[in-house]
Amino acid sequence: MNGVHDLGGMQDMGPVQAEKNEPVFHEPWQARAFACTRAMGGWRKWNLDAMRFQREQIAPVDYFRMSHYERWIVALVELMLKNGMVTPAELESGKSDPGSAKLTPPLTAEKAQILVTKGVPESRDVAVTARFHTGERVRARNINPVGHTRLVRYARGKTGTIHMDHGVFLFPDTNALFLGEKPQHVYSVRFTARELWGEQAPPQDSVYIDMWDDYLEPV
Amino acid sequence: MIDPRGVLREFGLELSNDVEVRVWDSTAELRYLVLPERPAGTEKMSEEQLAALVTRDSMIGVGKVTAQAQGARA
Repeated sequence: MNGVHDLGGMQDMGPVQAEKNEPVFHEPWQARAFACTRAMGGWRKWNLDAMRFQREQIAPVDYFRMSHYERWIVALVELMLKNGMVTPAELESGKSDPGSAKLTPPLTAEKAQILVTKGVPESRDVAVTARFHTGERVRARNINPVGHTRLVRYARGKTGTIHMDHGVFLFPDTNALFLGEKPQHVYSVRFTARELWGEQAPPQDSVYIDMWDDYLEPV
Repeated sequence: MIDPRGVLREFGLELSNDVEVRVWDSTAELRYLVLPERPAGTEKMSEEQLAALVTRDSMIGVGKVTAQAQGARA
C-alpha cells in the first residue's frame, strides 16, 4: 500500500531530535504497549506482517499525530477485535466481561520472555532456487499493491546490483494477508545514491536495501 | 534516505566529502550491527579500555568513537 508509513525519500519532516542518554522507554505505558503486543502475538492469531499491515492502515492524519507505541496499541486493539479476543463493550468499560473468551493455555511470564528475547523468526530452512546471484544487475519491479509490501516506493523501477544473498525468508506480501509463506531468497541490493536521487547525490554514496526475489527482475 | 549526510549532521557528525556513505535500509527481518572505527591513538589500549570508549551512537552508525571515554555507555 502506498501509505504514509513508507517515508523513504520524503523531505522536510523536521530535524532529528537526538536525546542524550535516551531511555529504552520514555513512559511506563510504552513498555506495556510493547509487552502486550508481543504477548498477544504469542497466540498466533496473526503474524508480524499482518500486524505491520494493520498499523499501515491507520488513517494518515492519525498516523502522523500518533507516537510509535500509540500506533502499536491501536493496531493491536483492531486485531484483537477482529479475532474476537476483546469486545467493544470491554474496551469501553476497561474491564473484561465475565463471559469473555479465555485463551488456553495462558501465556506465562516465562513464555513471554522467550517471545521477547528470541522473537519469531521469518527465515525458513527450505531449499529454494535463487533467481539472482551476487554481482548481477537487477531492477526493482514497479508494483503498487494495495496490500502489504516491503518494496520501498523510492526504489521501484530502479536498477541495482545484488550485493549478497541473505538466504530464504517467508514473503511478507502474502504472509500479511494469510495467503501463504511463499519462502524465497532475500538479497541485499546496492543502489547508487545517484540512481535513486539523481545528480544532487554524491557520486560515491549508495543505499543497500533488503529485497525479496519477487521484488526483482533481470536487467 | 535521501540525505544521510544531513541526518548525521543533526546527530553532530560532520563527514567530509571524500568519505563514502553507505545507507543500509533494513527492510527485511535482518538487523545490522555497526562495528565502530577504531580511533587513532588507541593501539595500546586493552579490550576493556576500548569497550569503555564505545557509545550508543557509534553502535547505530551516527557517531564516531573518540579516544577519550564518553562515560555513559547507554
